[in-house]
Order: sequence, then C-alpha cells, then structure tokens
Amino acid sequence: MTVAAGLGYALVALGPAFSLFAGVVARKPFLVLTLLTSTLFWLISLIILSGIWRVFLPIRSGAWWPYAILILTSVAFQEGIRLVFWRLYKKTEEMLDSFADRISKPRLCLTDKMLISLAGGLGHGVAHAVFFCLSLLTPAFGRATFYVEKCSRMPFFLVSAIISLGFLVIHTFSMIIAFNGYDERKRSDQVFVPVVHLIASVMTLINLAPGGCVIGTPLLCVVGAVTLQYCWQMVWRRLSEQQHRQFSS
Amino acid sequence: MGGGSTAPLLAAFACVFLAVFPPVASGDAATLESVPDLVKAMYINVESFPCVRLLNHSGQVDPGHDKVIAPIVRFGNRNDQLVQLSAVLLPLNQMTDFFLRVSNDPELYRKIAGVLVEANGVDNMLEFSPDRKFPQQAFAPYSNLSHHWNPTGSGIMWNKYDFPVFLLSEESTQTLQNLADKNEKSANGYLANVAEFDLVMQTTKAGTHDSESCLREQSCLPLGGQSVWTSLPPISNSSTKHQKPIIMVTASQDSASFFRDRSLGADSPISGLIALLTAVDALSHLHDISNLKKQLVFAVFNGEAWGYLGSRKFLQELDQGADSVNGISSLLIDQVLEIGSVGKAISQGYPLFYAHAAGNSSISMKMVDALQSASESLGSDNVKVKPAASSNPGVPPSSLMSFLGKNSSTPGLVLEDFDSQFSNRFYHSTLDGPANVNSSSIAAAAALIARSLYILASADLPIDLITLNTIKVNVSLVEELIGCLLKCDPGLSCGIVKSFISPSNSCPSHYVGVFQDLPAGTQFPSYADDISQFIWNFLADRTSSLAGNSSSCTGQCHDEGEICVGAEVEGGGRCVVSTTRYVPAYSTRLKFEDNVWHVLPVNSSDPFSAADPVWTESFWNTIGLRVYAVQATSYDWLVLLIGIIITAASYFAVIVGRSYISKIIKRD
Repeated sequence: MTVAAGLGYALVALGPAFSLFAGVVARKPFLVLTLLTSTLFWLISLIILSGIWRVFLPIRSGAWWPYAILILTSVAFQEGIRLVFWRLYKKTEEMLDSFADRISKPRLCLTDKMLISLAGGLGHGVAHAVFFCLSLLTPAFGRATFYVEKCSRMPFFLVSAIISLGFLVIHTFSMIIAFNGYDERKRSDQVFVPVVHLIASVMTLINLAPGGCVIGTPLLCVVGAVTLQYCWQMVWRRLSEQQHRQFSS
Repeated sequence: MGGGSTAPLLAAFACVFLAVFPPVASGDAATLESVPDLVKAMYINVESFPCVRLLNHSGQVDPGHDKVIAPIVRFGNRNDQLVQLSAVLLPLNQMTDFFLRVSNDPELYRKIAGVLVEANGVDNMLEFSPDRKFPQQAFAPYSNLSHHWNPTGSGIMWNKYDFPVFLLSEESTQTLQNLADKNEKSANGYLANVAEFDLVMQTTKAGTHDSESCLREQSCLPLGGQSVWTSLPPISNSSTKHQKPIIMVTASQDSASFFRDRSLGADSPISGLIALLTAVDALSHLHDISNLKKQLVFAVFNGEAWGYLGSRKFLQELDQGADSVNGISSLLIDQVLEIGSVGKAISQGYPLFYAHAAGNSSISMKMVDALQSASESLGSDNVKVKPAASSNPGVPPSSLMSFLGKNSSTPGLVLEDFDSQFSNRFYHSTLDGPANVNSSSIAAAAALIARSLYILASADLPIDLITLNTIKVNVSLVEELIGCLLKCDPGLSCGIVKSFISPSNSCPSHYVGVFQDLPAGTQFPSYADDISQFIWNFLADRTSSLAGNSSSCTGQCHDEGEICVGAEVEGGGRCVVSTTRYVPAYSTRLKFEDNVWHVLPVNSSDPFSAADPVWTESFWNTIGLRVYAVQATSYDWLVLLIGIIITAASYFAVIVGRSYISKIIKRD
C-alpha cells in the first residue's frame, strides 16, 4: 500500500521540477539541451568534490563542525562551478550572436537568456533531487517506513523530500539571479546567490538537533520562497526596464 | 537499533548536500552508507529460533497462510487481553502459563498472530518443561501410565498452534523490547512497529495434513539420522563361531524442545552420552579386555526423543540381519545397560545414582550388584548407587523400553540421576544447557559404568582387583566434551572434534533432524550429522586395537575390518582395526521404495508399531522474522495527496507566470 506514499514523496520532491519542465523547458529544444548540460556539470562537480572529501570520510566524531567545513567547501566549490558554467554560456552566446549576425537573424533576446538560465538552474536542482532524494526513496515504496531517533515526528522520507524540494527551488531560481547579476555586473545579486546557498545548506544542520527537523525543513522552504520572490522581482524589473527602453527608443 | 539512530538523520542532511559521502552515526561506528544500508536499518532481521511444526501419521492441521504482519505487543501480565491481532512478546517464564491459557481461551487465540519469546529473565526460573509428565508414554512396557516422571512437564510442546512461535536471542530480545515500548508510548496511532513472520511453522503443500500424504507428495522427510555402535574389542569375522554373549551399553544423542534449534538436552540425554564416551575411553586403556568372558558393545542411538527411532530401528536391523549390524545378533544380547541422565547426581556433596532395573530377574540383580561393587571399588571418590524405588511402575522413559518391548525378559538397567521423578527441572526445554549439568557428576557416572562393565564382562571369572583399580576416567575429557557438545564456544570447533571431523557448524544442536540419506548402503552413509560423525570417529579411534597399521586414508580402507578414522580432516585419516558402524535411525514403519517413502501398515507383531507417531518435517525455506515500522494507510494517501497538490499548484503557477510574462513582452 505504500506505493502511494512513495509516489507522494517523489511528487513532493520533483513535482514542481516536472511542472517547470513540462510548462517551460520542453517547449524549446535548446532549453532541454541546456538542462542536460547543466545536470552533467553539476554531477561532475559532485564527483570531484566527493573525490576530494573521500580522504576525510567518514567523519567519526559526533561534532557538528566537520559538517560545517564540509558544507562551506562544497558551497564554495559549487559557486565556482557556477562561474565556469557562466563563462561557458557566455562564449556560446557570443558564438550564437555572431552566427545570428552573419545570417542576419535577431540576436538572443532577454527572455531567451532568462529561460536559458532557468533551464540551467533546473538542471542543477533536478540533479540534486534525483541524486540525493529519489535514490533514497526506493525503500519508501516498500511496506515499511523509517523514522530517525532524532526526528520522531516526521518520516525520514518526508524530510528528505521537503529538503529536496527546497533546494530545487533555490538552485533553479538562484541561477537566474546569478546569471543576471553577472550580466548586469550587479554586485548585490552576485553576492546574494552564494549567501542564500550557504544559509540553506547550513540550515540543514538543524536536523542534527533532536526534533530539529520540525524547524529545519519549514525554514528551508522559507529560504526557497525568499529566493523565488527575489527572482520574480528582479525578472519583473528587468522586463519593465527593457520595455521602457524599447518604448523610448 | 538505538545506536545507529542518528545515522539516517545525517543521511537526510547529506541528501541536502553530498550523500555520496558516507554519513556516520555519532558515538558508535554504525554507518548508513548506501540505500541497502537504509533498507537494513528499516527492516530489522531478528535473530530467532522458530518452533517448527512436525507432522505425524494422524495429522496436524495446516492453516496455509504465508506471511503474517502484526503489531508487537508486550504481554507482561497473565491477565492481559489483546485488543487486536498482535505479535505477542512474552517472557520465557510466562510461556507455560500463556500457552496453557491460549489453548483454553479461543477469544485470545484468535487475536494472536505470533508469539515472540524473550531469551532473558531465565535466571529466576526454577522449572520449565514443555514435554509431558510421562514423556513418550505410548512406548512404556507397563500399564501404569499415570506416574509423573516429569512433574514439571506442561505438555505445551505437543499441542497444536496455528500461529508461529519464535525464541529470540538475547540481542534481539533487547531490540524487540524497545520496539514494544515504543508502540506502547506512541499515542499518535498512525505509526506502529510490526513483526513480519515468514512462512511459518510449516510449509506443507495444501492437502498434505499427515505424514503419509506429505511423504507421498514428497513435501516432507521423516525425522531420523544415524545411530552408531561399536564393540570393544573389535569383533573379528573369523571368530564368529564362538561368539561371546554381549553386554550392550547404550545412550541417546538427541534431545527435543519447543524450539527446534535450541535443543541442547544437556542433562537429558547428553550427560549420558558424555559418560558413555568417557567410559569407552577409560576401558580402551585396558590390555586384557579381549580375555574377558563377555563382549562389550556400545551403542549411541539417534532420534530417541521422537519415538525411540534409533533403538527400534537397531533392533529391527538386528532381526533382519542387516549389514549395519554384521557381527552381532539379538540372541547374543545378554544384558543392556543404559546411561540415562547422569548430569545432576550430586545432591549431598557426593554423586548418588539410581539403578532402574527392568524386572527382577537374577541377571538384572547381578547388574545392580556389579554397579555397587564398582561404587565400592571407587572408595574415596564416594560414588553411591542405589536401586530405584520399588514403587516405580517400571523403568523411566529410555531406550531400554524398546528392548523390553521386543523381549520383555531382557535383563536391563538404566542408570539415572533420579529415583522416581526427573531431577532435571528443564527436561526437553531450551534451558537444559551446560549450566544444568555437573561435570564431576558425569565423570563419576563414567567411572562407575567403566568399572561395573569390567566386573560384568568378567562374569564368573575372579575379578582382577588390580586391573579394576587401574580403570580411571579422564576428568578433563568430560570437561572438554561438555565444551564441545553443549556450548557454542568452543562448540564443535573444539580440538577433539576437529581432530576427527570438519564440523559444518560450531554451535551444537541435538535436534535429530531429518533422514537425508538413502537407506541403502548404510555402512558408509553419504550423510550423517556432525554429532553422529564425531561419535563414530571417536568410538572407532578409542576401540581400535593396537595392531592396526596406521596407513593414511581419505575414505575406505582396503583391509577387511579396517575403517578410516578422521577421513575428513586435513592431511587424511588413518586406517584402524575397529568394529564401528552407523545404523540408520528412522521410524520402523517407513520403507523407502521407488524413491518415495512409504508408511507401512501397523505391524501386529511389534507392540510399538501402533504407538509410532511417524514424525516428519516439511520442507521449508529459511524461516525468518523481521520487524519494521509501518504507517497507517490514511497517512500514505495523505502523502500522495500532498504530492499531487504541490505538483498541480506548481504547474498552475508556471502557466500563470508564463502568460503574465508574455503579456508584458507583447505590450511593446
């Protein structure tokens, strides 16, 4: 009977990703390509990170600080990867623009750029969810459920599904913010993204405290909502500005 | 699993960031490194020992369900009632009360999905015996069956229960107690820890309710094994013309209990087996044993707890003159001396044994006398023998009953550590372990037997007192054998066993098992359990005459009368001259024909034929027990609903957001 539960957890974790894919990404082939590339990028970054950390793991002490260091280095590394991804994208964009000039077609417009960054972010988020949540969910389709001693109110699978959902939102929309920030050379946006990433990651340490998951998971959702809101405002502003410019010109 | 509790949470954290790194539990080393680890933490496989249902010829009912899942409930008080179908967690000291109550309380019976018996809390238990008050009374060669040989016996082992019963190990007891406590505490109602029992107690095919039909369907095998006999000195085939009368010395090698794999039977009957082996060892050092007037034959019977299978089959083979008993005949059997339970004889500081003689014939009186002279010869060791009370209805439950059933005038005697009631308070229970026997009691019995055998075998010759006094038992051998046969450490991996065989399992179990061999070619059976193999090798080694050349061998020896001892051991065994043979032990009412076991009709000439239950054990896969937490079904549907709502809402938001943005763009 817990096929229902397993499906439910999977939908909580990946339902919004599916909606974004079906509603936006799947309509344009180059967005699908971007999504796949981004997923691959994220996975490679994960392999490199795990290769480095392999030496120090598993952490035998019960202290929380090794996990904090782990989080700090990993966030730093992944933000670096984001920059690399941006450079790569920029090069492609230049190539595409020059190609478009040659065949006298219009260049990439602002919405196209934003859609590309959305697909890139979704790639990161989906890779995260599939890797860290979906793979863990397989036992949830069985008869049993699982509760962790320190989190006796929520099933382990629900915690991991909610965390996955939170990070999906954060990854997806912070990519739009970051790309826009690089494009506009706007310092505040460039800083906002790593800070949100770090805050969300550190927040998961709350789960280590007894009963912490009841506080930790909603807080993560709040961070996700804040990211979404910030992104929306930014997109709104850019589109209005562009509209103005076009109007005035 | 309290220790590993934090690990999954760390995994949840890692789900956030880097699950590829193995998260670790704080404190202990339990890690949750992969999804299979998670599954292992979810489904706890509980180490336990099942109660296996056996079939007999009159049938047992097979309910035929395959998996039972029920919440674990503690059953502490004898007046507790159950509200729903439950897996009952029961302390061992309440097992008897509970099972007796269940048999009389159909309301309670219906609510039991299974019973898990705790392993601890046995220290204050004074008595526990699931067998009857008169074990195997159908085989008694006398009519007074109301005597209570086993006053503590409750008989719960012989009732039928349609639910599985498991004995937990000490560790799993702890786990299950924790889970039961959690179930008591959790008031939310949507979460419960449940036990899941695999194929329970039996897997008989539908429609095979008794031994006869299941044997025909080939879905079960008869209980049985291999008995072993040996002669001291070896019987040479050339001397068959002037054979000596035989003194049979017997012991049993198997026990029974409620839980199949926890049948140690330390006092009953393994103490007798150890005494027999030690007595053979002591007598083997005598040089002039072949000059004695009588031939000593030692036999260790298997399957005695399940209808005296070994002794009855042995007698049948004797009658039929089978190869397995070549060299002896039933007519030659002059006296039968059985070593029963001898592990608890020390009552007032010295060992006191009781000789239960069959009948009052002059020969059995002589046997009692021989035991008493042996006791006197032991002098300062102060080993006493008394004839059993004349108020006893006859001999206590023992293999001797088979001999008496065959020929009621057989002179025989059973040496026991009790008079009219078992001194073993844990007869045929899991608690009849090494702590229930006293090694000095067993050694005293061995010394007594060895010396009285010398006296009996001398017959009318004057007894050589100097030789008699040189017969001494090796006390350290007794202690070593207790370690080998009754404990898990060292168990069957002890030195003396390893010098003869390579055991398959170090933890000994004295459950008889099923007869896996083909009845033909019993001289070298293709399958004999570890205990039988060890007994065979030990007896062959000790009874071998010194003349044997010690050529190495791996199976059979070329010379007539030679056998290969320690063939399985690395480096090969050696050929010795000894008359040691396996005799199959299975019900005399079974016949193997055309690759199928057939149940024979009752043989009117054999008084025990009708009493024979013809026990069989069904084929079963591993009988497992696992526990895990389950959620209420409504909770599962709620999770699915939330998932669908989130997906639908996000899709709606995407559509709305998209059209909104395209509206802004189109405005220009």
